[in-house]
Amino acid sequence: MENVSPWVIFFAAIFTGNILLTYFLGMCSFLSVSKQIKTAVGLGVAVTFVLSMTSALNYLVYYRILVPLQLEYLRYIVFIVVIAATVQLLEMFIERYSEGLYINLGIFLPLITVNCAILGVSLFMVIRKYTFIQSVLFGTGSGLGWLLAILAMAGIRERLNEEKIPQPLRGPGITLIITGIMAMAFIGFSGIVQIQ
Amino acid sequence: MMDEIILTVAVLGGINAVLSVILVIAERFFANYGECTITINQDKTLKVTGGSSLLSALNSQKIFLPSACGGRGTCAYCKCKITEGAGTVLPTESALLSQQELQDRVRLACQVKVKSDLSIQISEALFQIKEFEAEVVLLKDLTYDIKLLRLHLLRPEEIHFTPGQYIQLQNKPYPKVREIVSRAYSIASPNDETKNIDLMIRLVPEGICTTWVHHHLQEGERVIFTGPMGNFYLREGTGEIIMVAGGSGMAPMVSLLSELARIKSQRKITYFFGAVSKKDLFYVEEMNRFEKEIPHFTFVPALSQPDPDDVWDGERGLITTPLDAYLKKMDTPKAQGYLCGSPGMLNACIKTMNNNGITSDRIFYDPFA
Amino acid sequence: MQTHFGPGRISKDGFLGEDSRHIHDIIQEDQRILSSLGWTSERIADRLQFFIDEGKKGLEGKVSVGKCIVCVRWDRGMVPCPFNEPGLHPKIVATVFSPAQKREIRYSQLSVHLIRRHSFFGGKGSVFRLEPKTVLEITDIRFESNERKSG
Repeated sequence: MENVSPWVIFFAAIFTGNILLTYFLGMCSFLSVSKQIKTAVGLGVAVTFVLSMTSALNYLVYYRILVPLQLEYLRYIVFIVVIAATVQLLEMFIERYSEGLYINLGIFLPLITVNCAILGVSLFMVIRKYTFIQSVLFGTGSGLGWLLAILAMAGIRERLNEEKIPQPLRGPGITLIITGIMAMAFIGFSGIVQIQ
Repeated sequence: MMDEIILTVAVLGGINAVLSVILVIAERFFANYGECTITINQDKTLKVTGGSSLLSALNSQKIFLPSACGGRGTCAYCKCKITEGAGTVLPTESALLSQQELQDRVRLACQVKVKSDLSIQISEALFQIKEFEAEVVLLKDLTYDIKLLRLHLLRPEEIHFTPGQYIQLQNKPYPKVREIVSRAYSIASPNDETKNIDLMIRLVPEGICTTWVHHHLQEGERVIFTGPMGNFYLREGTGEIIMVAGGSGMAPMVSLLSELARIKSQRKITYFFGAVSKKDLFYVEEMNRFEKEIPHFTFVPALSQPDPDDVWDGERGLITTPLDAYLKKMDTPKAQGYLCGSPGMLNACIKTMNNNGITSDRIFYDPFA
Repeated sequence: MQTHFGPGRISKDGFLGEDSRHIHDIIQEDQRILSSLGWTSERIADRLQFFIDEGKKGLEGKVSVGKCIVCVRWDRGMVPCPFNEPGLHPKIVATVFSPAQKREIRYSQLSVHLIRRHSFFGGKGSVFRLEPKTVLEITDIRFESNERKSG
């Protein structure tokens, strides 16, 4: 995309075009891992890392290999493979250096692979024709936006532990309602930057 | 067309190949913990390859910590004090360890991964524990739900234990059950019998190991067990010995009585065997034999609910009844209590003993539950 | 998580019997039956625990509890909860027989925990499966609590 500062894209990815609260991508691990702040932050940082890495790698693979060879139609399978490999590397790293986090994340660490936000960001990058710098900042910004959303949710849910919530709404019910309210709050950011 | 297919396959294959190579290299790097040194009791040192649990690392060096669940983190038998190198406490551990234990740096050996040098403290007695391979030479019914299992030791050929100790028997997979677990069974044979051991195994509802013994194990099969272990054994003293054990709890008592017979103990010994009806009684002849061999030994079986056609003129009622009556008639300040069996029966009898002047420091049993 | 419920993991036959449904479906269906009968898992768990506590006094013999005959056995060792929760439970099995109705229910201490904390009554055909309706009928909850109310 021409004529848009990468930093505007970065800012938009966090606030006005938040991958989770505006585009509703990446919901499943968001709903499940937002019970505790510590674990939520851990997952959020992991997702940010994966998003930064994969937006850079997928940009290079797309524009340096697929496009010159006119194999753009292979992008889904190639992006997914790159994402899977990145997550695998991340898992090895976390298992070695932070076993507590590894156990707490459980199955949601490998599930980052199929987090639709990750593939979504790579595909957006292609659709919107971002440059390399724009892509990397878009990926990192999206990750930070996702981290912001899950951190806020975890903070709210930890506080809610003390509260009396009507039986039918406990668990998924109230979480989805809060997500909706958060999404509405983020609409307040729209108009700060104009980006598609 | 062909060209495009070859190109597509080549590109996809190439990308996959590059990523796979990167992952293999990463795996080698990340999962390689190198060689780690485990220092035991500030004395012995072991060199092991890092990456596995402390429990399996010790096992590989022939040091066996007790474990019933095979390292799955559900039995809490493998508690071990780790003074250095343990890493953060995992949720699976904090669920089974008390605050005091965590403060004392007690951890579950099956959950702690060996990633760097460790310094641990374990009881010296654990060094005596070995892994045995044995052959089943006898498998017979003692009652409708208790079997006697006699194992002939193959490798090592002899076992040295203190009467009252137990071993952990490993089951083998059988239809519908693929997991290997180990369960504790007290040794019922005398300790001067070093080449064979006897076990008494009662069928537990839905029990994985006991069902295997009762319904699948055959004479001639080979089994694996570790041992000997446990802190249940005869204590020094001149006071009277009060034994209480029902069902398969009789096993360690048989071993203790053999020892008492061997040393020609002059202590007064009374063994209270609680059962429901006559069909729960067994080894009565062996007990009568002990009564002849041990100068002051009396066997007191009690039936709480004899069947209508049971001919019985022995004690009746819950085992606490004759026990209580007996304790009230004797001097208890030096008496010692030895118990084995169902936790419910144990709790009730400990209470009766406490009520009659036998303090808890003189009551001995293995706390399995 | 479903694997812990299978045979040979925690208990020999597992907790699902021949039931092919997902655990959450089993729980939901039993909850529906319970609410239609007007009872909660917690009260049923309390009642079952009461029978275990009274039955323990018999040291594996039969004990009369209300109109029922209870036999409780307690074996050494502990079992974990299949819901991957921390904590271990004693191996206690209770058989509650109603002479009036000539039928019995059989359950474990772990069953009581599974009912109380997870509203899980066991898959159909599993060894310690408890039908909510049968529990109410055999243990005479309605009757006993009416007696307590008037007494």
